[in-house]
Amino acid sequence: MAEAKKIKGRFLKLGWLGTGLAALSIVAAACSSNSGSSPTTTKAGSTTQAGGSGQNVTSELQSLEKPPTGSIALSETGSTLLFPLFQLWAPAYNSAYPNVTVTPAGTGSGTGIAQAAAGAVQIGASDAYLSSSQVSKYPGLLNIPVAISAQQINYNIPNFTGKLQLSGSVLSEIYQGKITNWNDSKIAAINPGVTLPNLTIVPLHRSDGSGDTFLFTQYLSKSDANGWGTNYSYNTTWTGPAISSALAENGNGGMVSGCKATPGCIAYIGISFLDQTNADGLGEAYIQNASGKYMQPDSTNIEAEVNSLVGQTPANQAMSLIYGPDAGGYPIVNYEYAIVNSTQSDANTAKAVAAFLAWCMDPANGGQASYLSKVHFEPLPSQALSQSVTQLKQIH
Amino acid sequence: MQATWVFDGRSSTTVSAPGDVLAPSRIDERDSGNGVGQFARNDRPMSILKKVFPKGDTLLVWFCKFLSYLPLLALLGIVGELFFQALPSIKVSGFGFFTTSDWKPGSSYANPISTSGVMHPPGAHFGIVPLIVGTISTSLIAIVIAVPVSIGAAIIIVEKLPAKLSGFLGLSLEVLAGVPSVVFGLWGVLVLGPFLSHHITPFISKHAPNVPVLNIFKGPTGAGEGLLTSGLVLSLMIIPIIASTCRELFRQVPVTAREGARALGMTDYEVVRKVDIPWVSSGIIGASVLGLGRALGETMAVAMISGSVTGTFPANIYSTMSTIAATIVSQLDSALTDSTNFFVSSLAEAGLVLLAMSLMANLFARFLVKRVSGTALPVGRGV
Amino acid sequence: MFSKSHLLRRKILDKAMWALATFSLVCIVAPLAWLVWGVVGRALPHWNWSLLTTKPGGANGGGLSTLIVGTLVITAGVAVVAGIIGIGSGLYLSELCPEGKGKILRTASEVLSGVPAIVLGFLGYTVLVVEFKWGFSLGAALVVLSIMVVPYIAKATEVAILQVPTAFREAAEGLGMTRWQTLRRAVLKPAAPGIVTGLIIALAIAMGETAPLLYTAGASNNFPTSHITHSPVGFLTYAVWTDYNQPLAGSAELSATAAVLLLVIVLMLILLSRLVIRVSKKYSINNSHGGR
Repeated sequence: MAEAKKIKGRFLKLGWLGTGLAALSIVAAACSSNSGSSPTTTKAGSTTQAGGSGQNVTSELQSLEKPPTGSIALSETGSTLLFPLFQLWAPAYNSAYPNVTVTPAGTGSGTGIAQAAAGAVQIGASDAYLSSSQVSKYPGLLNIPVAISAQQINYNIPNFTGKLQLSGSVLSEIYQGKITNWNDSKIAAINPGVTLPNLTIVPLHRSDGSGDTFLFTQYLSKSDANGWGTNYSYNTTWTGPAISSALAENGNGGMVSGCKATPGCIAYIGISFLDQTNADGLGEAYIQNASGKYMQPDSTNIEAEVNSLVGQTPANQAMSLIYGPDAGGYPIVNYEYAIVNSTQSDANTAKAVAAFLAWCMDPANGGQASYLSKVHFEPLPSQALSQSVTQLKQIH
Repeated sequence: MQATWVFDGRSSTTVSAPGDVLAPSRIDERDSGNGVGQFARNDRPMSILKKVFPKGDTLLVWFCKFLSYLPLLALLGIVGELFFQALPSIKVSGFGFFTTSDWKPGSSYANPISTSGVMHPPGAHFGIVPLIVGTISTSLIAIVIAVPVSIGAAIIIVEKLPAKLSGFLGLSLEVLAGVPSVVFGLWGVLVLGPFLSHHITPFISKHAPNVPVLNIFKGPTGAGEGLLTSGLVLSLMIIPIIASTCRELFRQVPVTAREGARALGMTDYEVVRKVDIPWVSSGIIGASVLGLGRALGETMAVAMISGSVTGTFPANIYSTMSTIAATIVSQLDSALTDSTNFFVSSLAEAGLVLLAMSLMANLFARFLVKRVSGTALPVGRGV
Repeated sequence: MFSKSHLLRRKILDKAMWALATFSLVCIVAPLAWLVWGVVGRALPHWNWSLLTTKPGGANGGGLSTLIVGTLVITAGVAVVAGIIGIGSGLYLSELCPEGKGKILRTASEVLSGVPAIVLGFLGYTVLVVEFKWGFSLGAALVVLSIMVVPYIAKATEVAILQVPTAFREAAEGLGMTRWQTLRRAVLKPAAPGIVTGLIIALAIAMGETAPLLYTAGASNNFPTSHITHSPVGFLTYAVWTDYNQPLAGSAELSATAAVLLLVIVLMLILLSRLVIRVSKKYSINNSHGGR
């Protein structure tokens, strides 16, 4: 280890020299003060209990939403699923409170977490919650839900207009290459009275790292615990086996256009692309939840799923909403997280971050349908909202 | 090369002692009309410099010397730093990195485990073989198309076209070299890929003979993202570097040799075939390898067009695949969620492999072109 | 000596070669035209001058104003950083270093130009953004892009200087100029058009890059700030790469529009470099044949 360190020192030096180009023009680099050591008052101002009444949360949100005075600039970076929403929220908040400007950027969830942890941005955005090893690597990093998203399973079966039901174990076998044709008996068994064509299944998965892959593989892992769960588990990068008929696509847009162009395909696509999948005539499957019910995502069953799990959600809200116990809940649902360091560079920035996020999740402001419906997200139900508010108050 | 007046460190300092007798500023106003005054105009910046640095002369030379060492240092820094970052991956994956084909990040939500003293997520396994295959096969498709086109274009530009037209073509080549990679990608994914998959590839797939080698053209044609589309777009991207190098090479074939050949009654074709091409043949190979080096490292266009599938080998020429460069750009973000940093380290090792491939291609190409001509060799994209 | 059929064969071969060569020209010009048409065709129907003056974001995608400014700021920064390093090292390699000593430096610079852009972007992120704690920033972007284009500028400088006649230097030396004066007046000045051309082309390449910028400049919808570190910068290629694949209405058109703007800027830079050469040629002919 000591040797490795020595080597590291040497190479770092080389790297420094190599990038010594910087020294020429970027004298100012040294001036960038990173005053991360503001007073550490480690108390979570927990005045309300998680799951408090809706009335209470509304008034708390309203008191949080007003930013401190003086010009404040915040940066947000991360999830490309949340990016369109932040694109709407940032200017709207700025017109309500002109002294605060928020700069959103869609760079990917991994970057969002890493940059928020490094203090390079005030707000990171992620489709996935922090893992326990990330929490221990970056203590003080909070994941605060700001909205609810869901995932749909689409398919392209020409001339098929019936209702297609799919369960986790069937999807798992499709993505393992064990079920290869739409007329497979296992699919027929859960679709009584429906005739499916003799057509090769082409499973699509994402090629880039993505929250959608995380959600989908987690659904497979939970619904097919002994199969997919033990063998492939879940990640933001595709973890499944390489099967010859599979295709990979870049981004949700790529999934939609790839599925449209590939008869026989099946694809997991974020609900924000609902308009595109409808416009391109892709079928949307009914997905089996833990109680054996099949459904397509809508605001009722998404909210039911969230509420059924709020009780089990730990205070840090690092919680999967996949495959929950509620009979009326849609099984592939997730919190969209803002990743925030609880210790900000100064008190004003901390207040502004909490204010902006409170405004975003407030059903009367950023949580309005006029914002969320553009990407078919759902607002946080009041129980989840009050948990998020409790976390917001930890930012200092 | 260094035909001209080269300063020697010591002697010139004596010539240029500050406060020289013939301070040029004095002749400057009077003689501004003639040729000598041309060089003696506007002395002011110099005198200020002199006041600041009495020995400004030597200082500036040292400054330039420092600057010219920066590329070398950057190169060493890049190789060293990349190697250092790849170390954990090298320790864990060992030779398996070059012999296996799974590209799996493992489960970053499970507790990390340790192999050879390096922490990594359980289930993580990285084998680069399919990525190397993807990188080389797209580049080869690009080369197979780009080389004949480039040579043909270079010949016609040098031998046949009137100056105006060849100027226009030179401009086209420059623009082609200047089109951003991401714009090629946008065109490839929105225009070329769908066009091929709707109108061209199904036809080829149907009629291609089912014999070895040519049967790579058979089979499912996909949605237009994959090996063929990537190779085609890459060929467009490397045509400028190969064509412009060949153009310079052909221009350097001595006129006497060509005229002699013509005097023997050779046709144009024979002149090209028997004089031009043999004269610069190793340079042409070098130019092609230079294009290859460029194609190996192309990132954005391939990331948008290849389908970016890792872990499998292409089944036919329409299959989706990925290259090393495209994988790095599309997976670095996801790799950052791995708290053990092992995924990032594996990407670094992949980058190291890519770097080695491109640098070898580059050095080999330089060696070949320089044997023919020292000045035909372009830098970078060959604009 | 030759039979008629032999002659015919030779003629056919000759014609065939020219036909193929002409075809290869078509293979270059036609796809280029198709590309330009394909991209412009997607942007033009939605063209609106306000795209140039509106910020990105908002309900209908907004415009590209901040990204245009970001790209220009990055390009200007590269012009300064890479310009100084490239011209300085080109000058050293061609004029100042002892004969035969520059070979390693020259080769290193040329080989550096072969380093794939994504490798630079990767290291830019892990070293500058993370290790040096610069964050997504103009500084990180400038360092990475400068490493990329310095070899172009150095090479252009070297070639331009080597073309300056020896007589110029001898005349200057004869006048008793100091070394620096000679360089500036008798070498750099006549070589300037070549150097400027190389610089312009290098900038055209730098502004079209995406891979090295994604993980160094980051992304932003706002105008660049005066901070060199910890302040992400938006740029046009980012919009092309990200927006073509976004669910909001108008984002695909925004992506195509950004691509058109990039094409226009690159074309303008290339034409500018040609103009520099043309004007300087006129100028130098007047001078050398003036006979005064």
